[in-house]
Amino acid sequence: MNAPLLELRNLTIRYRGGERQVTAVHDVSFALAPGGALAIVGESGSGKSSIAGAILDFLGPAAEITGSILFEGENLSALTPVRRRGILGRRIGAVFQDPFTSLNPALRVGRQIAEPMVHHLGLPLAPALRRAEIALQEMGIERVTEVARAFPHQLSGGMKQRALIAAALACQPPLLILDEPTTALDVTVESQILRLLSRLRRDKGTSLLFISHNLGVVRRLCDDVAVMYASQLVEFGDVRRVLERPAHPYSKGLLASRPPLAAATRGSRLAAIAGQLPTSADPDAGCVFAPRCPFHEPPCSAGSQFLTVAADGHRVRCWKADASGHWPRQQVAADLAPSFRRGDALVNVTRLSKTFDSTRGLTSWQLSLSRGRPVLYRNEKRLAAVNDVTFSISPGEVLGLVGESGCGKSTLGRLLLQLLRQSNGSVEFDGADLAHLPAGALSPFRKQAQIVFQNVGSSLNPRLSVGEALERPLSLFKLAKPDARAKRVDALLDMVRLPAYYRKRFPHQLSGGERQRVAIARALATEPRFIVCDEPVSALDVSVQATIVNLLADLRDAFGLSYLFISHDLAVVAQLSDRIAVMYRGRICEIGTAAEVLAPPHHPYTEMLLASATDDEPVSEPAAVTAPASAGSGCVFATRCQHKLGAVCDEMPPPLKTLTASHAIACHLELAPGAWMPGFTDADGERRQSGARDYQPGPAP
Amino acid sequence: MTGYVVQRLGAVLIILVAMSILVFLATHALPSNAAALILGQYSTPGMQAALEHKLGFDQPLHLQYWHWASQMLQGDMGLSFEMERPVAPMLWDALSRSAVLALSSMAVVSTVGLALGVIAAVWRGRWPDHAASVFTYLGISLPEFYWGLVFILVFGSLLHLLPSSGFVSLSGGVGPFLAHLIMPVATLTLTLLAHVARLTRSSMVEALESMYVRVARARGLPERRVILRHALRNALIPSITVLAQDFGFLIGGIVAVETVFAYPGLGRMLVTALERQDLPVMQAAILVLTAVYCVANLTADLLYAVANPRIRYGGAID
Ligand code: SF4
Ligand code: SF4
Repeated sequence: MNAPLLELRNLTIRYRGGERQVTAVHDVSFALAPGGALAIVGESGSGKSSIAGAILDFLGPAAEITGSILFEGENLSALTPVRRRGILGRRIGAVFQDPFTSLNPALRVGRQIAEPMVHHLGLPLAPALRRAEIALQEMGIERVTEVARAFPHQLSGGMKQRALIAAALACQPPLLILDEPTTALDVTVESQILRLLSRLRRDKGTSLLFISHNLGVVRRLCDDVAVMYASQLVEFGDVRRVLERPAHPYSKGLLASRPPLAAATRGSRLAAIAGQLPTSADPDAGCVFAPRCPFHEPPCSAGSQFLTVAADGHRVRCWKADASGHWPRQQVAADLAPSFRRGDALVNVTRLSKTFDSTRGLTSWQLSLSRGRPVLYRNEKRLAAVNDVTFSISPGEVLGLVGESGCGKSTLGRLLLQLLRQSNGSVEFDGADLAHLPAGALSPFRKQAQIVFQNVGSSLNPRLSVGEALERPLSLFKLAKPDARAKRVDALLDMVRLPAYYRKRFPHQLSGGERQRVAIARALATEPRFIVCDEPVSALDVSVQATIVNLLADLRDAFGLSYLFISHDLAVVAQLSDRIAVMYRGRICEIGTAAEVLAPPHHPYTEMLLASATDDEPVSEPAAVTAPASAGSGCVFATRCQHKLGAVCDEMPPPLKTLTASHAIACHLELAPGAWMPGFTDADGERRQSGARDYQPGPAP
Repeated sequence: MTGYVVQRLGAVLIILVAMSILVFLATHALPSNAAALILGQYSTPGMQAALEHKLGFDQPLHLQYWHWASQMLQGDMGLSFEMERPVAPMLWDALSRSAVLALSSMAVVSTVGLALGVIAAVWRGRWPDHAASVFTYLGISLPEFYWGLVFILVFGSLLHLLPSSGFVSLSGGVGPFLAHLIMPVATLTLTLLAHVARLTRSSMVEALESMYVRVARARGLPERRVILRHALRNALIPSITVLAQDFGFLIGGIVAVETVFAYPGLGRMLVTALERQDLPVMQAAILVLTAVYCVANLTADLLYAVANPRIRYGGAID
């Protein structure tokens, strides 16, 4: 092997904060060959981003770094600050997680790409700006001149991230560090960015250091993977080897807790990693993973675990690595997982629409200077967030709602609970039209229909303890006498599997998963029959996500609850939902049972979502990278559709075609069951079983 | 952005009209009788009535207002009761002297204030930051006339370095002109400096900790460039607004400072007119000050829009 491009030797990073000292990275070593691609995978708090911080030198004086970082044979920490800064941008490019804040809002996009060329390569501004446009073109952006002259707020998230990659690669650095570059983006955009990155790697030979919490993403891009847990490297090796035959129990758990992209039965549960990341693990006191490891035995805690190196370079920090079996899978006996009966709908939504007027009156007049000459035009933004939507939810049924950000799915959830008033159409709950409820009937309805939000951080009052937060709805709806409330709070905590002493804790003392449990308990306090779950697991790490999804399934079965389960993640939705509705720009384009939606025939948009979630050789890239301008009367998906038939799609609203009693697709295409599945077939004509090549957890006990 | 400008202009017009009505009514509600004031204490009620008729004071109020306002608009501000000369030329003279004071103060505040804020932010937690915060604390905690008196005492009476009152025009020589300006300007700027420096520091700290600054550093740009081009450009946006708002504050300060330093500007003119109940001068001075205030705010809004691309360039590219 030639000399590595980047090599970490015994890298340890500690943060001093007052008296407490936190070890973020403990004794990590690995090497990245020129042209190679290495992924660092771990959950939040594992230390993976601190490694990027140490290489890019932004950890600040509070971080104490020992060990060495060798880049192109030079020890980075031995360089003067000025020389070190000189390497950044020129020899090492970096792209970060959040494209929305990573671009300077006050500078034109083209300038920001040109800047490193001016500084590092000494180019005059004009040629640098021209090169910036070429770079944008390489990133798959059309109308580059316009984009280069734009300010960041005028670009979509995907375009911003492309522009940032262009800027990071402006001086053709041999190494590109990517810190969760697609986490903030929609799946279809994520898939496009990943494809772009692998093309860049192939064409330019750029090495990648890819940091992510998502093992699925890593497979598409990298050769090697380093799995981190609680500041330690626990497994290192070839990506395929690690993903297909993980050796360390943590890697196994991480893989097993990822929901497969397949319909689940009512009894199935995700494999989950119990417990949570230790806040300060002492690596000398035995295996750091021991408290959560199902294969744990007394020798594990006897002393620190060492990385053992196999002949093929595979490294594992577990003495039982080869002996331990499959990660145990949880399952609920079928009779404990009652099915629901389709009967009278609990929630009945008919032709529901919601239009927002974002600008009115004087402010709707806009002067555009961006297109060369000043143009005065009236910019009336009437946004149909929800557009003519009809469906029903039976008692005890879970309806999944998938779609990208901005498709109107959260608005729909709020309309169902009447947190927003619809512009048109009706919502019936238990047979009563919510728009015409008699005064005084709204409170009983609020009791029966609850919501759990994604961002629990802001939906829990930081000044209320968990116990107080749970007592609020009890007293508000007069559900329990003051002396009975404490008992009820204990019961609620028990339902979400939190110990009773958590009642004294405050939100900032809870982990993300625990906060979400409290939010669920609060929703359960009024003994509802229907809960809108608005992206309840999107902000959580994959192992925590699995425990929350399982909890929601258990509660559904125990209390016969109905959910509207909103998520951008088709796999998570499939895990919990009886039926799935796919939403695009305010419209439901496909609805059916989970199995029907996941199997062909698909609506072209569903097909794109599925392809984005699974692909390595995906369907062709859609022409428009950004959200297209409003479609007239035709199909809302027409601007991105790969199967567009022509004018008919632009001009005629697509008809709703019923394939089975439960399955409907809104599209002009001819849809014969099973016959039409463009772009989603293997060479031998078999549909890919998503996740089939992945590690499969063991059989149910 | 045009919509934005039109909106702002509309708001300014409404404020001006409202203020003029207020000024008009307030001066009419004053206890003394204008005719009696003009004619002196030996006038008879008959003489007063005749004068009132001549001045139009016996007409309905809205007609009087209309008459007054249209004269004002044509630049005819009436006669000063006290001096018995036209108000307009006196007023313009005083205004131009006040403008010299205000503009030089603004120039000092915007350069020194911004620089102090930036320095404090870049070296935050170290001695330049602490020094700046002591300075701003002193500036904010005491009113400007206090500092004015201290300056007069120290530099005027004790050290005899600077003249402690009056004004010399440029034709009287650059040296004396500047010498008469230094103390009033220093007094006026002290409070505002503190205000601007504090705000700039906090928006600068926020910008320096932002993601785009981290990205700019990761592109290998030198720290100078990161600070001046990436961080400052964004931190300036709120500072610009505050600077222009401070201009309004400055107008209040000018009234106090001109009195303390016997500086013959609009502020002192207003105070004198109030003392002597010189109605036309009062009306004109208040209206002019209101107009200046409105224009300053309008400029602030426009500058903000120019500095902030989100307002200048609305639409998304699609
Ligand atoms: S050393 Fe023991 S506790 Fe640690 S991962 Fe291996 S089996 Fe589990
Ligand atoms: S109606 Fe036309 S554009 Fe719309 S999804 Fe179907 S084929 Fe595509």
